[in-house]
Amino acid sequence: MTRKEYLVKQKEMGRHLLGVFPAQYPKEILWAMNIVPAEIWDPPLEITLANAHLQPTICSVVKLGMELILQRKCDILDGFLFPHTCDSIQNLASVINDYMKTEKPCYFFYHPKAPYGAAGRDFYRNHLKELIGSLEKQFGPLDPDTLKQRIHQGQKISALLTELYDLRAQGELNITNEEFYSMIRHGEYLFPDDFIPELEAFLSQNKGQGIKGQARVVLSGVLPNPPEILTLLDDLGVRVAHDDFLIGSRRLLVPANDLDDPFENLTESYFAMPPCSTKGSSIGERAEYLFRLVDATGAKGVIFNVVKFCEPEWFDIPNLKEELKKKGISTLSLDTELNQGLSGQMVTRVEAFVEMIG
Amino acid sequence: MKDLGAPALFRLQQMQKKKRPRKPNPHLGPPLKCADRLREIMTRHYYLSRFVKGAKPVAWVTSGAPVELLRVFDFYTVYPENHGALCGAQKLGPEICSKAEDRGYHPDLCSYARIDLGHAFSGKTPAGRLPRPDLLFCCNNICQTVLYWYKELSHYWDVPLIVFDTPFNFKDIQESDIRYMVSQFEEMIPRLEKISGRKFSDKRFKKIISLGSEASLTWGRVLATMKHSPAPMTIFDAFVHMAPVVSLRGLPVSLDYYRILLEELEDRVEKGIGAIAKEEKRLMWDNIAVWFKLRDWSLLFAERGFNFVAATYTNAWAETIHYLNPESPFESMARAYSLVILNNNMDHRLKLMEGMIRDYRIDGLVILSLRSCKPYSVGQYDIRRLLGERLGVKTLVIEADMTDFRTFSEEQIRTRLEAFFEQLEE
Repeated sequence: MTRKEYLVKQKEMGRHLLGVFPAQYPKEILWAMNIVPAEIWDPPLEITLANAHLQPTICSVVKLGMELILQRKCDILDGFLFPHTCDSIQNLASVINDYMKTEKPCYFFYHPKAPYGAAGRDFYRNHLKELIGSLEKQFGPLDPDTLKQRIHQGQKISALLTELYDLRAQGELNITNEEFYSMIRHGEYLFPDDFIPELEAFLSQNKGQGIKGQARVVLSGVLPNPPEILTLLDDLGVRVAHDDFLIGSRRLLVPANDLDDPFENLTESYFAMPPCSTKGSSIGERAEYLFRLVDATGAKGVIFNVVKFCEPEWFDIPNLKEELKKKGISTLSLDTELNQGLSGQMVTRVEAFVEMIG
Repeated sequence: MKDLGAPALFRLQQMQKKKRPRKPNPHLGPPLKCADRLREIMTRHYYLSRFVKGAKPVAWVTSGAPVELLRVFDFYTVYPENHGALCGAQKLGPEICSKAEDRGYHPDLCSYARIDLGHAFSGKTPAGRLPRPDLLFCCNNICQTVLYWYKELSHYWDVPLIVFDTPFNFKDIQESDIRYMVSQFEEMIPRLEKISGRKFSDKRFKKIISLGSEASLTWGRVLATMKHSPAPMTIFDAFVHMAPVVSLRGLPVSLDYYRILLEELEDRVEKGIGAIAKEEKRLMWDNIAVWFKLRDWSLLFAERGFNFVAATYTNAWAETIHYLNPESPFESMARAYSLVILNNNMDHRLKLMEGMIRDYRIDGLVILSLRSCKPYSVGQYDIRRLLGERLGVKTLVIEADMTDFRTFSEEQIRTRLEAFFEQLEE
């Protein structure tokens, strides 16, 4: 079933649909309100209409999101949620809410920026309640018990994803890089009732010895797009042993906690997430995180696959590369546009990099 | 801080410089007398900064940060954005940016940040020398870029970074937002005491708030003189004369300066002295200045009788200052600093611009789409459309950078400007 068919079916089942822009948001709250978050990262569209609203120097995540709305491909949705991820998404949210009159409610979710103090935690906890308050006006009251149940499902998903990542890190998954991310990314629109069994089935079907002696790399950036980067690595016999993707480990591998209060639980989860450029995490924290991924997997190099004009990512890269270099870890950075494939030059650079670490 | 003989040295330097008097331009009005005083103040500021290390704690501060709190602890403040503008005006942008690019910083990143990082790596600056910071103080009310940029500096120099996080005002500011910001101030105080070695004083804080508030209000009055026709100054003047309200806010010198500037402008209004010889059309500017084009463009527009009399950028240091109240310093500071144009929703920005267009009787609007500044630029195409629909104001959008002229297309922009001039002259 395609993503679109799935969302139509969910709507027919009486669930609400919210288009969610990148990146971090409390999805458990939406699930508890019978809302399916349909995340909008890189819809496969040609950017035409959005060029009348956005400058050429704006990243394609933002442009594609706006294009999706302008091409009226969001008509099925009941509204939009914009987490505060960067300046461009912040303004995109405001342009859509104030200027474009989509006739769909727009919600905004601000998360505090690092370095965090106690004030940040209090703010986040209160902000969760404010988000619920505003969603309840459209979608009806939230049942506290359902929220707890959805939090358990969220933890279950995190545990399954962690198992999946760990197996991959140890070379015990018999799948390609492309298959791995295709599976992971189903979580961008599947309701947990459907995603959990799919993940379980995937794990049981694909546990097994991977190809021995494969070269290993860690990928970093926002998301694995253009997808050709994954197929190229597959073709070159390279395993993506771990990732530091915003779409991946930075928000999916959340350490479990057993706090009974749902707001304490969600707050703890947010602040326990791996470091991220969009949250203002320090270079030191981010470098430590990359070292851990490299050490745990035996990867020989890190490839930064970064969306063109993505400021939060590009600012960190020189220092991260420097820190990795000090530890003898090779790096490569690619400046990519979403859905535009890899240029011949990029392919050559990746091939040369693989040869070097091989 | 004692002057360390700085004024005498300035005078000596000035005497040594053989300045050829600039021929008066027939399209411009008489120059502002205050300009010499401004030059003296800013030169002194940068001059003293060379010797401040050890005498005072030094903080590098973002332009929209609540500096009043730092003044209580007697920090000597350096504004990298102001320094970036200085480098831009002296056409040093590409040279210093390239020092950061050599270290791997992408040329698509904000050029103020690249200049600052380039300066940190190379020491290159037209200001002689900038003191190394003891503290980096960053407020994301102007952009998230400053957060990414300052954490790079913090890592490079191993210097503490304090972030004042201001939630974006998507609809209406919430009490929880205010509480969050007030709590952050409370959390900062012990850290600032430790870094500076000085104790917080509530009495001093209130006095500084009053001083800063009065300086910004006076700056607002300075800008408001341009509502008169002919306007006694142009926005190109204001781009230069805004330096004290950005860099010296909360210090007596800033208020003193704007009082004398206001006096001079009011005198010009009374005598009907305009900033340009013949003010035919009144224009508004949206965004930061293109620093390396300031003089060229001031003449280009003046030759045609076009005077820029308002700008969203210069207005930003006056717009929300009325919230500041010494009786509730933290709460009022949270409002004043989080409701600034770039941290506020697009509906607010549109209404603000509509109000300015009416108040200043604007005939044409120039929108600078700035590749360095996403929060200023995303939404500008829609602003152009909506202002055109609502007010019928003639608008030009140009694409450029504020300091890095490697991306500046002289011919293309010149052609667009000529077409805009024709439109205005119709």
